[in-house]
Amino acid sequence: MSQLAAFIHEKKSAQQAGQKKPILSMTHVVYGYPSVQESLDWMARLMEEGVDFIEVQFPFSDPVADGPSIVAACHKALEQTLDVDTCLTQLGELAKGFPESRIVLMSYLNPMYRFGLDKLAKRAAEENILGLILPDFPIEQSTDYIAACKANNIDPIWLVTPVTPSDRLEMLASKASGFLYCVARSGVTGHSSHEGTSHLTPMDEYLAHIKAHANAPMGVGFGLRERSQIEDLIGKADVAILGSALLDAYNQGGQDAGIALLRDLFPTH
Amino acid sequence: MKSENGFYGQYGGSYIPEILYSSQQQILHAFEDAKNDPAFLAELHKQWQQFSGRPTPLTFCANLTEHFGGAQIYLKREDLNHSGAHKMNNVIGQGLLVKRMGKKRVIAETGAGQHGIATALVAARLGLECTIYMGAKDIERQYPNVFWMKQLGATVVPVTTGAQTLRDALDEALRDWSSSHEDSHYLIGTSCGCAPFPEMVAFFQSVIGDEVREQSVAQFGQFPDRLYACVGGGSNACGLFLPFLDEKDVAMVGVEAGGKGLALGEHSIRLSHNLGQPGIAQGFATMFLQDQAGQLQETHSIAAGLDYVGVSPIIAHLAETGRIQMTYAMDDDVIAACTLLLKKEGIIPALESSHALAGAFKDAPNLPKTSRIVINLSGRGDKDIFNVAKAVQDEAFPQFLNDYLATYPVTTDNKEQNA
Repeated sequence: MSQLAAFIHEKKSAQQAGQKKPILSMTHVVYGYPSVQESLDWMARLMEEGVDFIEVQFPFSDPVADGPSIVAACHKALEQTLDVDTCLTQLGELAKGFPESRIVLMSYLNPMYRFGLDKLAKRAAEENILGLILPDFPIEQSTDYIAACKANNIDPIWLVTPVTPSDRLEMLASKASGFLYCVARSGVTGHSSHEGTSHLTPMDEYLAHIKAHANAPMGVGFGLRERSQIEDLIGKADVAILGSALLDAYNQGGQDAGIALLRDLFPTH
Repeated sequence: MKSENGFYGQYGGSYIPEILYSSQQQILHAFEDAKNDPAFLAELHKQWQQFSGRPTPLTFCANLTEHFGGAQIYLKREDLNHSGAHKMNNVIGQGLLVKRMGKKRVIAETGAGQHGIATALVAARLGLECTIYMGAKDIERQYPNVFWMKQLGATVVPVTTGAQTLRDALDEALRDWSSSHEDSHYLIGTSCGCAPFPEMVAFFQSVIGDEVREQSVAQFGQFPDRLYACVGGGSNACGLFLPFLDEKDVAMVGVEAGGKGLALGEHSIRLSHNLGQPGIAQGFATMFLQDQAGQLQETHSIAAGLDYVGVSPIIAHLAETGRIQMTYAMDDDVIAACTLLLKKEGIIPALESSHALAGAFKDAPNLPKTSRIVINLSGRGDKDIFNVAKAVQDEAFPQFLNDYLATYPVTTDNKEQNA
């Protein structure tokens, strides 16, 4: 089993043993926003609070799967010169202090492609970053990247969506390693002027379909903002992913507002 | 030009968020069906003729030819399309495809506004809802086009992220499409983006080169020796060049925007002089202007339609293999070329197309008198009146604007129309 999936299973068994946490938490932080140090401090604070995962987004100038909150944060972060290698080193250092949490790295393909996908997998593994999320890198083009991840015992994390065709969803679910990122709705991350209007498969049916084929634990993200949404996921998914909502809270009231939201959404942490 | 599974050499492909997979596949299949359907092609040619006025002429320029004393100069008059640019060829094609797929709404990005207007025109004619994304900086530079888009019933959304130009508009159009893909078609304006857009747009634009093949043989008994086109996204260049790809004696020159200088941020030169680097963004692999860390960079051109960070994967591949020779023209040379065409031939070129003129004018004196060159005059220059007036430092223009403003009714009754 992959290191990441093993970590999730271990946490989940602790949960089933009646300790706490009916669902694991993953919180998103943009590296370098509003500054590198502040973003690292924010990650540390979240892990102190007991989040299970941090999804660190390495900013890209053209983040097409993201909505306005994350786009603005990425552009602000890019007012500084950011470097992938330094980022990985800093995340590795940070992670050492929090053995109960894990960091996964999210970015877009181009900055990682320029850094080198082989080097990325190797360096991520060295820093105990066990999963990589690249939303604009389709599985069909990823043979070399998958091999590099495998060689370094880390996981490429694939996304499925409510409009992914059935056969493709089953293919992606069966090829999942680490965990499978289940996008909860159409559109981009967070609140945006582009709200999906389509009639989608009901969430329960969608998640059950994935679960029947998933070869890895399931994380659910996109548009999670309320406690009821997260409670609804209990028993149907393993990890709830909190992205733009947390960023919006952080922007409004700093770390304390972010932590207040986290405690509200994950009351049993 | 047929791709290998969406790729042209190392460029092209489909690198899109998973949410768009189904819609991308739908377009792929719809286009494959349509391009092999004689009824679709007949309708396409009918609309090109009846709505856009095709075929456009191939115009011999006797005065320019004499002026340079070298090659015989011909212009392919895409400026005479309805809407004043070659953009119409593509939007008619994709518009018909949208109807075929049964979608009700189109989304488009636009730089200079030519593609935005062309999309709004076709949307009006085909009864489609239309949303145009345009960088806020481009809206400032090309407001008259924005005005017409709105009058045509389109919703124009200013994009205020990043550098607020074409690249940001493209990102935002992709974001809209991510949530609206079930009833909306992303009507991309150039031969960029995920497969099959580069191939599809090039297919619809190839009517330009197809006509030049016939017209050149009819007018001077052979194919041209050299072809020139400006290269922003690359659609007018694909349109002129691709039908001549197998004619080894026909040389092809693509002209990029040199802008104000060769420092990063001052130009839009992706292919000549190794200024761009391979990258994967906005749905496809091509040469992008980017920094060492892979962040896409700001670009500049006096012509908004060439002010783009990437380039068609088809052009990138053909430039890499040496089939197309790439060069660039600086803003100043572009204004000079524009002015020369006005004075010598009585034709008002778009600043985008004036790059192709500038590139050709540089070569023309050194080419044999027996050689014939065709320059793609991809658009007309009426839209550039403000920028050209400023560039040639027309003395009366500011006074005209002041007088116009002085008499402009500030509180209008039809405010909502422009809201």
